[in-house]
Amino acid sequence: MNLNYSEEQVMLREQIQKFCESEYDFYTREKIVKSSDDFDSNVWKLFAEQGWLSMAFSEENGGLGFGAVELAVLFEEFGKALVIEPYLATVVLSGTLLDKSNYSKKSDLIEKICSGDMHISLAYAEANKNYDYLNSDTTLDNNILNGTKTLVLNGGNSDKVIVTCIKDKKLTLVIIDSNTKGVSINSFKTIDDQSCAEISFENVEIDNDAIIACDLEAIELINESINLATLCVSAEAVGCMESCYLKTVEYTKGREQFGQPISNFQVLQHRMVDMFVESELAKSLLFKAMLEVDSNSEDKYKHVSALKSQIGRSGKLSAQDAVQLHGGMGVSEEMMIGHYLKKMVSIDALFGNSDYHLKKFAS
Amino acid sequence: MDINFTKEDIAFRDEVRDWLNNGGYPKHVKEKTDKGITISKQDQIDFHKALAEKGWMGYNWPVEHGGTGWSATQLYIFNKEFGLAGCPPLLAFGVSMVAPVIWTFGNDEQKAKYLPDILNFNTWWCQGYSEPGSGSDLASLKTKAVLENDHYIVNGSKTWTTLAQHADWIFCLVRTDSSGIKQEGISFLLIDMNTPGIEVKPIITIDGEHEVNSVFFTDVKVPVKNLIGEEGKGWTYAKFLLAHERFGIASVGASMRQLNKLKKIVSELDNPELDKKICELEVSLSALEITELRLLSALENGGHPGAESSILKIKGTEMQQNISQLYVEAAGEYAIMYPGPHGYSSNDKPAGPDYAANSLSAFLNLRKTSIYGGSNEIQKNIISKFVLGV
Repeated sequence: MNLNYSEEQVMLREQIQKFCESEYDFYTREKIVKSSDDFDSNVWKLFAEQGWLSMAFSEENGGLGFGAVELAVLFEEFGKALVIEPYLATVVLSGTLLDKSNYSKKSDLIEKICSGDMHISLAYAEANKNYDYLNSDTTLDNNILNGTKTLVLNGGNSDKVIVTCIKDKKLTLVIIDSNTKGVSINSFKTIDDQSCAEISFENVEIDNDAIIACDLEAIELINESINLATLCVSAEAVGCMESCYLKTVEYTKGREQFGQPISNFQVLQHRMVDMFVESELAKSLLFKAMLEVDSNSEDKYKHVSALKSQIGRSGKLSAQDAVQLHGGMGVSEEMMIGHYLKKMVSIDALFGNSDYHLKKFAS
Repeated sequence: MDINFTKEDIAFRDEVRDWLNNGGYPKHVKEKTDKGITISKQDQIDFHKALAEKGWMGYNWPVEHGGTGWSATQLYIFNKEFGLAGCPPLLAFGVSMVAPVIWTFGNDEQKAKYLPDILNFNTWWCQGYSEPGSGSDLASLKTKAVLENDHYIVNGSKTWTTLAQHADWIFCLVRTDSSGIKQEGISFLLIDMNTPGIEVKPIITIDGEHEVNSVFFTDVKVPVKNLIGEEGKGWTYAKFLLAHERFGIASVGASMRQLNKLKKIVSELDNPELDKKICELEVSLSALEITELRLLSALENGGHPGAESSILKIKGTEMQQNISQLYVEAAGEYAIMYPGPHGYSSNDKPAGPDYAANSLSAFLNLRKTSIYGGSNEIQKNIISKFVLGV
């Protein structure tokens, strides 16, 4: 047994940390958030130069062939810095799906993702489907696509969209250009300063070679992609939890009331210990889940659910405690701490919340 | 023992209900608050003026100052009915915070100058208590007032000042003496917000709202006649004021309304986990309600419920937060979408439940409740010191 990160993994973490400290401090992030763009394309270019956009893809498709552990490291660090660039949408949800598919044109698309020249969104969700992503009312009949997708992450900025739909009663994945006739995109801000879109397809003509996968293959691709994305946002949450307790300890040591740092008060010490303990427990479940996904075990879904269920609860509680212990500063938008709470709300809501994953774990 | 209200109390409740439902509560304000839209300054004024016209603005005032002279039970009923009707919280700064200080410790001239305007909502007050370095430890405040002839010269800053951007007046705790123990050098000053040298800067909160502010004072000249009571006695007045702030702190009526609305939403979701959580909150809310009634009953029977009322602050705010949390859970995936405090405009509203945006707004906004008014940690200190005696 060895539950230590490899030298390469430690180096990767240091590389990302260094980037977040020097190029992506909270002030810089705020500037990006307040700009008219949903993210910073220069930052995206830097991601490409660092090789981070290629790390998740297999070597045969031009990637670095890294696994779930490296992705989790990346997302933990992204969580700490509250990175808003659409890595989840383009690389994890869409890119890794293409990577694992038998789609004939995938290498060209993956190459463009790796170089930072293309964004692709996965349109997996529809209204009132309650996290059942295999259930779709979007139809593909005689190569004509009709339907409406909701909560398409980064949908307003993508060059292409991968759409789940039903063709001959079977789940099907098609990829289309965002500017195809009949596609309308309405983009919205999310609570964690990212963006998502509602995309409707009205009699959109699809080329024959736009079909990525059908039936069982499509189901497996969607399940794997969503599972990996769930692991990634959970790793992001683990990063947030670590930052929450560290920043709270730092703040309470510096904040003086009644003639002493408030960190002297035992009641606050115990709250921070709880935050630390929850962060460690979440990290443990992350270890289990990322290793199961990495080894492609049968239990990989189950353990991702265990993790997601846990961080949905404890992550939100930690962030709430962090806000509380920061007092008024905690609810002020100019402090980073309140933004962790928003991130935790968003993460809990994505891909099935805590209750949903607890049920999935039990079944 | 009888847990029911008297006939007279029920008649009073019906009178309040009638006013709320039949035109008293301004329709345009009701429409906005029902939809969870932030109301404007004018809406606030319209709402409070309507109350003043009805003669209810002095809901917790004695008759001699133009108030209603209601019993504690009537006050409870009034507050609960307003909460159940979904009214915006009454602005407490004038009517139930500074006014009792003025009529108790102010002179006749001050009473005549300030109280009628408060009773008619002609003046909007805000509270100058917290400072960047003085939150829970309020007595450590540093904003300084130095007497020069017939004026105090005020320098310093206040923070988390609710709706200071709308206020005509601010009541301030200022330091007039730094020589002795910190509680003894504090004075209570009324300051016209239009005085030169006052600057109000917005603090935007995590829900995107501009509700609180920093207020900066640079050589602000305040006439000596604006001092309430004696110099150096401000801390005594502040503590007196905090006792009045307890009114309605449990927000039972408002929480009941929110929980009932949530029950309707969740009943259509087929979500047993959420159903269970709602039941748990219903039980907690019932416990909170009866606790408030027990304190009320003690008060009506000549008792002096003191530190026990901190239970209402702790549990009332936790209740509000927990309900808002379940709204967010009910919104499911749509909890990631957030248009900001003002909601979506009608022509670009995305799919997903109507309540999703408001749920998040409330969830984020209500984080403040366990922090302000003496944080819940401070409330627990109060209980352990004054109730448990440890």
